[in-house]
Amino acid sequence: MFGKLLKYDFRSMLKQFAFIWPAALALAVINRFTLSSLESASATGETVAAVAMMVFVSIMIAMFVITLIFVIQRFYKGLLGDEGYLMHTLPVRPWALIGSKLVCAVVLTVVSTLVAVAAILIIVSPVIDLGEFFHVIRWLWDAVCGGKNAANAFLACVELLLLILLGMAEGYLMLYLAMAIGHLFNKGRAAMSVAAYIGIHVVVSVLLSFTSNVFGDMLYNFFDNLFWGKHDYPWQAVHMSLWISILVVAVGSAVYFLLTEYILRNKLNLE
Amino acid sequence: MNELLVTCTGLTKRYGLKPALNGVNLELGRGRIVGLLGPNGSGKTTLIKILCGLLQPTDGAVAIDGQPVGPYTKSIVSYLPDRMYFAGWMKATDLFDLFADFYGDFDRAKAMSMCASLGVTPSDRLKTMSKGTKEKVQLVLVMARKAQAYLLDEPIAGVDPAARDFILNTILTNYNEDGTVMISTHLISDIEKVLDEAIFLKDGQVVLHNTVDAIREQEGKSVDALFREVFRARNYEGGIF
Repeated sequence: MFGKLLKYDFRSMLKQFAFIWPAALALAVINRFTLSSLESASATGETVAAVAMMVFVSIMIAMFVITLIFVIQRFYKGLLGDEGYLMHTLPVRPWALIGSKLVCAVVLTVVSTLVAVAAILIIVSPVIDLGEFFHVIRWLWDAVCGGKNAANAFLACVELLLLILLGMAEGYLMLYLAMAIGHLFNKGRAAMSVAAYIGIHVVVSVLLSFTSNVFGDMLYNFFDNLFWGKHDYPWQAVHMSLWISILVVAVGSAVYFLLTEYILRNKLNLE
Repeated sequence: MNELLVTCTGLTKRYGLKPALNGVNLELGRGRIVGLLGPNGSGKTTLIKILCGLLQPTDGAVAIDGQPVGPYTKSIVSYLPDRMYFAGWMKATDLFDLFADFYGDFDRAKAMSMCASLGVTPSDRLKTMSKGTKEKVQLVLVMARKAQAYLLDEPIAGVDPAARDFILNTILTNYNEDGTVMISTHLISDIEKVLDEAIFLKDGQVVLHNTVDAIREQEGKSVDALFREVFRARNYEGGIF
């Protein structure tokens, strides 16, 4: 059943983004020519760079905003609004409904990011020599992570990727939880969702600062004793801090997920 | 298979302090057409939503085919809500795909033939359909299932009298005869002739539950007339004069 839910969530995502993604790339191609004509029209390099930067920032923001709105809408309208009448009467468990929306949201974010990066590369290609650009990146990678560092660097990249994906999931799950709390109220649900979101943020930051105050030094000393004097100390520290971050984010995600599931299972309140 | 299809015991739902359902006890058998009758705000929609799992009761319990509300009961309940529940980008055929995927009892061929007889083009986008056509699509989805319980919330409230007969006819010719159909409405005279049983809901409580034949025999009047009597009294019960 989870697979079937995914199928429909992906379908509704593609319905919207099948237009938005190509449109972003097409816009990038158009901007690319504007930028190159700007350059040939004897504008200073600084002007061109400033315009390129502006385009870069606006594309990133636009993609970010569109994705975020879509993710929020798919949950709010799709599960807590009128469409919820359909979704919650399907013979599936609430965790599957939430999980399907979440997987879809994370995939959407990844693809949107890739599209935004591609769009930016298209735009800056007349200004920046991309061959050179990738060459420099390659050189940097080799210098820092090449040779005997390769295995560790690769592992660290995998960990970082995992952390980023989990971080996205955590961010969205926090939004889901806020909306689930908001829908418990009979009036002003959108406002209550926003209030709940702020509330969750406050609680989490208090908890985090409390734990880091109490355990921070302990953790630092623990690592220091563990690794000091060992030849691969820096890498061990990198891995360990990445894994701790992953753990923290995973615990946060699990808590938000379970609370949201609890609310949808036991407190569902569709008007 | 449990002999009783629906059992509610002490079912209570409060919105804030206001009770929408107040200690409802109800038992429904199989193979009946039941009218859930009451004026606006008497708790009809709340009761149906609880049976579908869209609301959680404040107190009391519900069992459908002996099971608490969950994936199993949802797989045997076919629910017609009082609103449109689909995304605008879908076509009716997309919804048929979805129903066929999730409900083993959905009969796609039947849905297509119902569309034909109701004059709906299933390949049209829902966004472009009129309100009446969308309601028909929803009715097709609900009635093309061979469910054990059909819970229909105000299926005839928003349409003209001619269309009412049409909709009732669609319901009567398509439901699973082993299943029970529950129709909530305040338009009694229109559905009285098809009902086997009537439930009167007043201020969140069941004030009467009997077969239509027994009502006619004992009260000597039609369900419609009895309904008017029971609910008219309300205006004169105290209040400010």
